[in-house]
Amino acid sequence: MKKEIYNCLLCGTPLNENVTWKSLLGSDYPDTICSDCEGELEPVTESDSHEIISLYQYNDKMKDYLHRYKFMHDVILAKVFRNQIRKHLYKRRETIVPIPIHPEKLKERTFAHIDELLKAADLSFKQYLEKITTETQGEKSRDERLNTPQLFKLKQNVDMKNKEILLVDDIITTGTTIQHAKNLLIQEGAKSVKAFTLIRG
Amino acid sequence: MRFKLIKTSNYITYKSIIVEPQVRDFFSGRIWTRNHTPFPQEKIEKYIERGYFKLRSAISIKNTSFGPFKRKRYICNRCHNSNQQEFIEFDCAKCESKCVYCRHCINMGRMSSCTELILWKGPKPKQKRNKVLDWAGQFTELQQKAANELIQSLEQNRNHLVHAVCGAGKTEILFPAVHYALNRGNRVCIATPRTDVVLELFPRFQKVFPNTTIHALYGGSPQQPGFAELVITTTHQLYRFENAFDVVIVDEADAFPYTFDESLQKAVIKARKPNAPTVFVTATPSAKILNRTKKENWGVSFIPRRFHGHPLPVPRFQSLWNYNKPFEKGSIPPKLLQWTKQRLQNKEPFLIFFPTIQLMKTAITLFENIHPNILSVYAEDADRKEKVMKLRNEEIPGLLTTTILERGVTIKNVQVAVVGAESKIFTSSALIQISGRVGRNVNFPQGDIVYFHHGITTEMDEARNEIMRLNKMGFGSSG
Ligand SMILES: [Zn+2]
Ligand SMILES: [Zn+2]
Ligand SMILES: [Zn+2]
Repeated sequence: MKKEIYNCLLCGTPLNENVTWKSLLGSDYPDTICSDCEGELEPVTESDSHEIISLYQYNDKMKDYLHRYKFMHDVILAKVFRNQIRKHLYKRRETIVPIPIHPEKLKERTFAHIDELLKAADLSFKQYLEKITTETQGEKSRDERLNTPQLFKLKQNVDMKNKEILLVDDIITTGTTIQHAKNLLIQEGAKSVKAFTLIRG
Repeated sequence: MRFKLIKTSNYITYKSIIVEPQVRDFFSGRIWTRNHTPFPQEKIEKYIERGYFKLRSAISIKNTSFGPFKRKRYICNRCHNSNQQEFIEFDCAKCESKCVYCRHCINMGRMSSCTELILWKGPKPKQKRNKVLDWAGQFTELQQKAANELIQSLEQNRNHLVHAVCGAGKTEILFPAVHYALNRGNRVCIATPRTDVVLELFPRFQKVFPNTTIHALYGGSPQQPGFAELVITTTHQLYRFENAFDVVIVDEADAFPYTFDESLQKAVIKARKPNAPTVFVTATPSAKILNRTKKENWGVSFIPRRFHGHPLPVPRFQSLWNYNKPFEKGSIPPKLLQWTKQRLQNKEPFLIFFPTIQLMKTAITLFENIHPNILSVYAEDADRKEKVMKLRNEEIPGLLTTTILERGVTIKNVQVAVVGAESKIFTSSALIQISGRVGRNVNFPQGDIVYFHHGITTEMDEARNEIMRLNKMGFGSSG
């Protein structure tokens, strides 16, 4: 995935090769989407807490993005948000821990979508967690979601004592997934657990 | 007797399976993903084991050398894309190695290095040559001439261009040629870029070819039984065929967004048998295609007149400066409002084309205020077919639409307005097609076609000039 990107990854229009004002201001990577597509995204302006930070609102454009990235398996779309993700995360002192997918699901999808988002932004992360159910949260009712016994377990030989953790997921809706992971990590001795998601549902 | 018995036992112990007609009929001429067929996986595996399928990786690597330069080139075996920009390498968790996928055809399910394709090499279905053409219509002189020329080209195995104005009766011209090819034992394909056109053509061909198995293929089309001697398909679905057709007819070859580009050419070449003739049918041939007809000595038929003998309605231009503003502020620009009210008063069905879904969505709430039954359609609209039907059946007064209805739609006495005709999406060929919706019915050969604009573009001028030129050719005056 080293080659340059000449066309908008979302709509295919040729990207302006001129030096844009953004790259003059020191963005790390060249753009991968056009300004029209960019304009259709809705950044989150105010956040509810410092505990959970999200970058974008869930709207039609994001829905389309997630569909193409996660379900049509267009892996290169991991690059679309690399600048924004990097900007938010590279100075964080916590250990970044992506929310994992079940190994069976991983084979089917062929890539771990959260890991790829982080890789695209050249961020290092630790795969401390393991998913133990194959069901997805989206298939369940709110009640079922809240009462799910356990979604994750800690990988073998991982010591959580006094660790500061930043969980990363693609989208947060009810917050159950994050809550499950957080509870587990705290239980295992983590000092603090915060979260970062690309999208707020 | 003894000999026969041995034969029989031979037959029984032969390590083969009796080929199910359903499997044979489905896979003949197709190139399909091993793990996503309409049949149980064990069954497919059994056929593969017995050698009924050729296997092929979805992505091939070709090592090319050009002088001192050696490089790897990827090729997608489903869509034949070889644009290296559209191949993406990634660490694949399925095959646990570096994998490559093709972005060009990803909408049809991703093809990557570890995806396997299967091609049928078992017995072929037999085609009967007793096809009936049940059509009692009358050709105009020009149509008859074109129909004959087309058959001649098939006889000579050469490509053919049918250049016919909107409303010339292009589909009917194809009937005798398709009939001729079917009874030559040919498998015939009609490909068009648009699902709407597939949906419009399918029932018409079913009606006139009553004992031919015809399938209609488009994204999400249902599974259809039997071996299709005639396939009516979107050009996208052509990717799923290989070496299948003896004749390919490309209808509306230049429909946006699939102008007759390289990838479509490749899809046609891949789907047809080597040297099978290709027929192109269009109202707006590109310079490129016209050039090829000369260079490669194709047959050409030109029909500048509509079948009912009346000239094409010529579009008029009407300024609608800064039309975005009033829409955003919650009102329909006065000239457009007046035009719509006139249609409602005259009880004339109407289509209003918009350059973007966004603008159309803003507009529809305002139009609903003038008449609650005015509806809107766009590409992803699940009720698109039904809404067009409603307009045709005069159940609703009018439709707002994006360019998806620019071709293939025939509505009696329809009046047409284009809003924002200066927009990039309205190319001259799109505008000609849109104008071609008007005056198609013999009882209503005229009608209003108006381009509401914020400035006149060369594309608008070109469209109008071409329509007047065709009228001149068909009638000897600018009509
Ligand atoms: Zn774009
Ligand atoms: Zn793979
Ligand atoms: Zn492809």
